Amino acid sequence: MRYEIRVDGHLSEPLIRVFPELDHVTMSGQTLLFGHVVDEAHLYGLLARCQSLGLRVLEMRQVPE
Amino acid sequence: MTGLGDDGSSAAEPLADPHGDPFLRTRFAVPARPVTYLRRERLTGHLDQGLRTPLTMVNGAAGAGKTLLVADWAERLDDGLPVAWFTTETAGDGPGMFWAYLLRALHAVGVPLPDGIGFPADANRVSPALQARLAAGLSGRERPVVLVLDEFDRVTAPEIAEQLEFVLHHAGPGLRLVLVTRTEPLLPLHRYRAAGELTEIRGAELAFTPDEAAELMELHGLRLPPAAVGALVERTRGWAAGLRLCALAAGESQDPEGYLKEFEADRSAIADFLLAEVLKRQDAATQDLLLRVSVLDRFCPGLTNALTGRDDAEAVLARLSRDDAFVEHLGHGLYRLHPLFAEILRAHLRVRLPGLEPELHRRAAAWLRRSGRLAEALGHGAAAGDWEFTAGALVDDLAIGQFFTGPHSDALAGLFSRMGREGTGAAPELVRAADRLARRETDAGLTHLRRARRELAEYAEYDGPADAAAARLSCALLEALAARLAGAPERAEDAARAAGELREAVPGELLERHPELTALLLDHLGSARLWAGRFEEARAALSTVADSAPEAATALPREDSLGRLALIDYLDGWLGRAERRAREALAETERFGLPRPSGSGVGRLVLAAVAVDRDELGQAQALLGTSAEAHPALRDPVLEAGRALTTARLHLARGDPGAALEAVEPEVPADAVSPWARGQTALVAAAAHLAEGRTETAAELLREVPDAPPACAVGAARVRLVTDGADAAVRLLDRARPEGRAGPAVTVRATLVRAQAADEAGDGARARRLVARALAEARRERLRRPFTEAGPWIRRYLGTAPPPAGRRTPGAGPSPRPDEPPPPVVEELSGREREVLRRLALAMSTEEIAADLYVSVNTVKTHLKNVYRKLSVNRRNEAVRRARELGLL
Repeated sequence: MRYEIRVDGHLSEPLIRVFPELDHVTMSGQTLLFGHVVDEAHLYGLLARCQSLGLRVLEMRQVPE
Repeated sequence: MTGLGDDGSSAAEPLADPHGDPFLRTRFAVPARPVTYLRRERLTGHLDQGLRTPLTMVNGAAGAGKTLLVADWAERLDDGLPVAWFTTETAGDGPGMFWAYLLRALHAVGVPLPDGIGFPADANRVSPALQARLAAGLSGRERPVVLVLDEFDRVTAPEIAEQLEFVLHHAGPGLRLVLVTRTEPLLPLHRYRAAGELTEIRGAELAFTPDEAAELMELHGLRLPPAAVGALVERTRGWAAGLRLCALAAGESQDPEGYLKEFEADRSAIADFLLAEVLKRQDAATQDLLLRVSVLDRFCPGLTNALTGRDDAEAVLARLSRDDAFVEHLGHGLYRLHPLFAEILRAHLRVRLPGLEPELHRRAAAWLRRSGRLAEALGHGAAAGDWEFTAGALVDDLAIGQFFTGPHSDALAGLFSRMGREGTGAAPELVRAADRLARRETDAGLTHLRRARRELAEYAEYDGPADAAAARLSCALLEALAARLAGAPERAEDAARAAGELREAVPGELLERHPELTALLLDHLGSARLWAGRFEEARAALSTVADSAPEAATALPREDSLGRLALIDYLDGWLGRAERRAREALAETERFGLPRPSGSGVGRLVLAAVAVDRDELGQAQALLGTSAEAHPALRDPVLEAGRALTTARLHLARGDPGAALEAVEPEVPADAVSPWARGQTALVAAAAHLAEGRTETAAELLREVPDAPPACAVGAARVRLVTDGADAAVRLLDRARPEGRAGPAVTVRATLVRAQAADEAGDGARARRLVARALAEARRERLRRPFTEAGPWIRRYLGTAPPPAGRRTPGAGPSPRPDEPPPPVVEELSGREREVLRRLALAMSTEEIAADLYVSVNTVKTHLKNVYRKLSVNRRNEAVRRARELGLL
């Protein structure tokens, strides 16, 4: 499954590296993380990672392969 | 780190952490507030209202100020309500750990716990009785306990939420629960909300208003114009941690207002940006320290120095916590990073000091190991991927037994499952052997044990032998287990002897700290001896374990030993004693909430065997079913043979000899022959063949049956009655003399063999005397099976008088022949007794029955006593069940 997660703000290099399995683009004060998500557990893990870093998740959606 | 955990509670108190570590007091301490903490009355006022509802939930993002708010409120509760605080720290704690900590938190604030509340011995399971007793205890309180569970989001097991909900519901007004959490808990909040029983403080309410933000900035020494504060609140959305970091960063800059303008304009993620800002204002050494400690959950100056390689941690940590910059002081010289910052700092660590993380874990592990904090040392050792160290720490601490028993077992298996093929040397091989044996993979276990022995032999050439004493002792324990699983009593004796010598070379303090090692060793030895048929020696070893002090760490071997002692009693024919002991074993399981339905399952197996002898076949079947899921490391030949025999006897009792034969085939694999198991198996098979008329085959099988133990001799005599005639049977009995040595289940059968011989010889008077004696002996133990399996001849001697013609006789089937006397053990009930029995079956009380029949309560009691005696039962429900079985109802 491919997902994209939109979080508030630009991420610094160290924070980007917390998501090594995802690509990212930065746009207008937001960061879009996107890539292949293995399963549900991975998905919730990503959300928890965002939460533990104090990131505000604005949007999360599945995108076509 | 002395004084960190030991709270002085004695070992007898059931309050030790099921992980065996002393409790860390800091998990029960209400967190301290920094000097710059801003009290907000609108929130504490809302929390006060929470005292009127059973449940209060405070939720919001990391750094929203939840914990400090509740801590501040809880400490100022002026009407003296006890407040128990518990910080749920480790993600993935099982219910056992959770409840153990929760009880400890209640105890810490002087809330009396109900007697016999029990204590979880398994990190992942807890007995339901615990919650019921706790709720009952709390519901009786005049004033409620306020229980705060901080960081409740770390509790992910749905069953914990369910159990908590149960306690909350049943404790009524005795408990006010406050959950502090980042995520919505799995409790049925909507129901509480609908009933007006929930007080909620959520993120929006926690957010700082501009006025509050201005006050906070002033506490930090920053006076800002309203417009600046407004912009700041907008940028941070009133987020407490963000505001605090802003104040810190701005306070250190030359031009705070200008700095804040910059911040407003920046588009970075707030936490990320602010943390980097505050971090870069620290000197290089402090930055380095903060990055390094980010791999630790909590730390003291000593551990921090071990990670930085410097000696200034004490001063730096004190300063950081005073400035409220990332570090919180937990009391007792312990610190932690704010969880949010720890994550971000770890991210920075990986970028700035790449590759250092494993080394930091290794240093932390070594330091913790030196300080005697094994569980934490193992965690960091595993995180470092240093398996020689990690396995070595476990083995040298003599903790290998924790793979099998106690709350550690699952955690250890999980920890070492990542080891794979990495790690060489004796310790990793021993750990692999333990892991395989715990899953009953005996061959793989033995392969690793052999390798470990080889490594240990090499040590002996280079190092002093004392160095490896703990490893050798661990090796002996595993060899005893392997021998037990293989049914090799001699090897078990050898291992136990070796262990006995090695114990001298190991520090006594280690042995005391790990009672499970000794308990397991003796349990293995006892069971191996039991297999060999050396009952007395087996009893000696097993009794030592069974009589040892009840502790969570030894719960499994104690339960197993009690169960096997019960099995020996059963094999000797003492049903009542076996039943009592088996029940003790089950109580042990219940008390410590052992993981499998019955620990080793041997207790239930004995109860099933006893039930077969009492002709309670339905119950036997149910017990056999639940005993099936035994701990794999205890599923040895004794257990397998015991299950096969009991299953076969049950089939025989149900009149299915074919299934009985199938149950005892093929023979349980074992290195050594067990005389009793082989003998009993042959007897069960012989009985099945007799039932199907194959006398020759049955006679053939008798050759395998030894004369000892007495149960085998009596079984053989019963078969001989058919195959060789009465004289041969009696000769065998005269030779074996079971009467003096065995219990009723054996002697009653022997007496019946003699009675049948007398009957066949035409000596009716002697037969009657013998049957009467057997009946008298059987009644105490509620033995029925020997009479039903004796054959039709016995009916002549059971009834005292022939029943009146045409009257239905109990148990004689739907069309009793008039010349047939009542069946075994059952005397006929009088009309009045039947009336009482029928009302008993309707669940009427003694008083109700008396009123219904217009007689006195005492008269009903007399009738009941007679009914019980005639049905040979002791309780109401048994009487009803027995009566149904006999078609009396």
